[in-house]
Amino acid sequence: MTYEIKSIGSSAFWFILPCLFVLALTSLYPIAFGFAVSLTNWNWGVQLDFVGLANYVGLLGDSEFWTVIKNTVVFAAAATSIEIALGFYLAVQVDKLSIPTDLIRAVIMLPLMISGIVVALMSKVMFDPFLGVVNYLIGAFGFGPSAFYGAALTAMPSIIAVDVWWQTSFVFIIMLAALRGLPKDPIEAALVEGASNFTIFWRIKLPMLRSLLITVVVIRAIDTLKVFDIVFGTTGGGPGLATEVAQTFVYRTAYSYQQIGKAMATMILFSLLILAISLALQGLRQRWEADK
Amino acid sequence: MSAAAAVSRRYRLTARLSQAWAYAFTGAMVLFSLFPVYWVFATSLKTKRDGLANPPLWIFDPTQANYLKLWSHDTFKFTFLNSIIVTGIGVALSLSIAIPAAYVIVRMKMRGRRFFGAWLILAYMLPEFLFVLPMFSLYQWTGLYDTHAGLALMYQVHVLPLSIWLLSSFFGEIDFAIDEAARMEGATHWQILTKIYVPCSLPGVAATAILNAIWIWNELAIAIGLTFSRAQTVTLGVTSFRGYAALDWGAMTAASIIAIVPMLLFAVVAQKHIVKGLTLGAVKG
Repeated sequence: MTYEIKSIGSSAFWFILPCLFVLALTSLYPIAFGFAVSLTNWNWGVQLDFVGLANYVGLLGDSEFWTVIKNTVVFAAAATSIEIALGFYLAVQVDKLSIPTDLIRAVIMLPLMISGIVVALMSKVMFDPFLGVVNYLIGAFGFGPSAFYGAALTAMPSIIAVDVWWQTSFVFIIMLAALRGLPKDPIEAALVEGASNFTIFWRIKLPMLRSLLITVVVIRAIDTLKVFDIVFGTTGGGPGLATEVAQTFVYRTAYSYQQIGKAMATMILFSLLILAISLALQGLRQRWEADK
Repeated sequence: MSAAAAVSRRYRLTARLSQAWAYAFTGAMVLFSLFPVYWVFATSLKTKRDGLANPPLWIFDPTQANYLKLWSHDTFKFTFLNSIIVTGIGVALSLSIAIPAAYVIVRMKMRGRRFFGAWLILAYMLPEFLFVLPMFSLYQWTGLYDTHAGLALMYQVHVLPLSIWLLSSFFGEIDFAIDEAARMEGATHWQILTKIYVPCSLPGVAATAILNAIWIWNELAIAIGLTFSRAQTVTLGVTSFRGYAALDWGAMTAASIIAIVPMLLFAVVAQKHIVKGLTLGAVKG
């Protein structure tokens, strides 16, 4: 399916050169330069000394850094698992409906079209401790009122809830398309044999969707680990450090405290964590595929 | 009544129950998705006093005052305009770079293909500030800081990988025999790409453009790091209303609604494209 290399060699090069150039400029250069900066005490200004691994050593011994990492992982794990469970379950339910579902899908997709910062501001109106409609609604069922973003205990669950509202439809859309794309024959054969819907789902549909499901988990895990907008727009990391996550922490370190060396060291360590998590999930998928 | 009929009746009953539950659950999720958007829109139509009423008002006298006030808010209008420009440049740039690159990947033998694939995944998955902080100083030195072009260029780190995955899967659907024939007739690769590949996969190109536009329009972290005033995007325009949270919900909610209207229109007009793009992106990525 491919041309011989000698006939296309040069045009292939010119076709892909702009891509290589732009990717190198926007990803390789920042990583290389950023790593160099992480070995200094640069403050964006004249202070610039080589400090070796001092930034890394300092971070690893700093309890604030570990709190930030813990918050980020807790947020990502909770948001990803709820979104996967809810989005997949919703896709299974919508797949059962015997009416046209385009409009339903469009409405459920709505939150996904909204920018994170707008989602954050919307949630501030809804979650207002005194005048917000959410406290009013849960009050009608005898709960609350809750301080939501205002208290250390409820701030993180509130942000997780906001991300669930925002991103669950991503899982839903992909899993619905996958459910509809499943081959009909094995399912019909099982129905003829008298298998229940429950059995068909767990024994036939789920195994066929497992690999895609892991991919969606990886995408959501990476995306939630990188969370910035909805934390920045709601709590800004507070109260105290209750919701400070990696990217808001780095933003503060770099732009408010001008500790660019420390900020870059944090980003490098955090990138390694993201890499490790996605490689682990990828390995899980390969093991499962080998099992099949 | 035969045993078989009893079984089939019980089966029909559970099937009907499961249908009813599916409708109920879907309905609840539709409400869950819609209600916050409705509520924020309603708040944007309330006077300041109605907006801050306790308990919340469900029925009120709508007013356009918040939107009129926003219309005279020059900074916000300016950021909205900036977002249109940056999104336009960003999408044009991504398509003109990714289309030839995707063609190479689909139809040509390339050394270092696996390496290139891994590079795309890395660029796509690493956190924004890893790239933004070093670029901040480069942009300061080169004068790209706080410009539309500089911002649109930086967005490529995310939209290029996605575009290449999507476009190469759309290009891959084209029958190889067609361009084989064109090559026999002496067509160059450039002609094959522009006369066959792009026209044949126009819906795919549109889906890619739409997903890129949505991503760029909604992006905050890169914009906050690389702009200051001249090139501030609408997400930053909305951010400037953050401090109003306790005081004036009208302005904040009206700004939010205006900022999301273009994307909601997209969702209505191009739902099929968006769904196709998201789905393929997940499969390829």
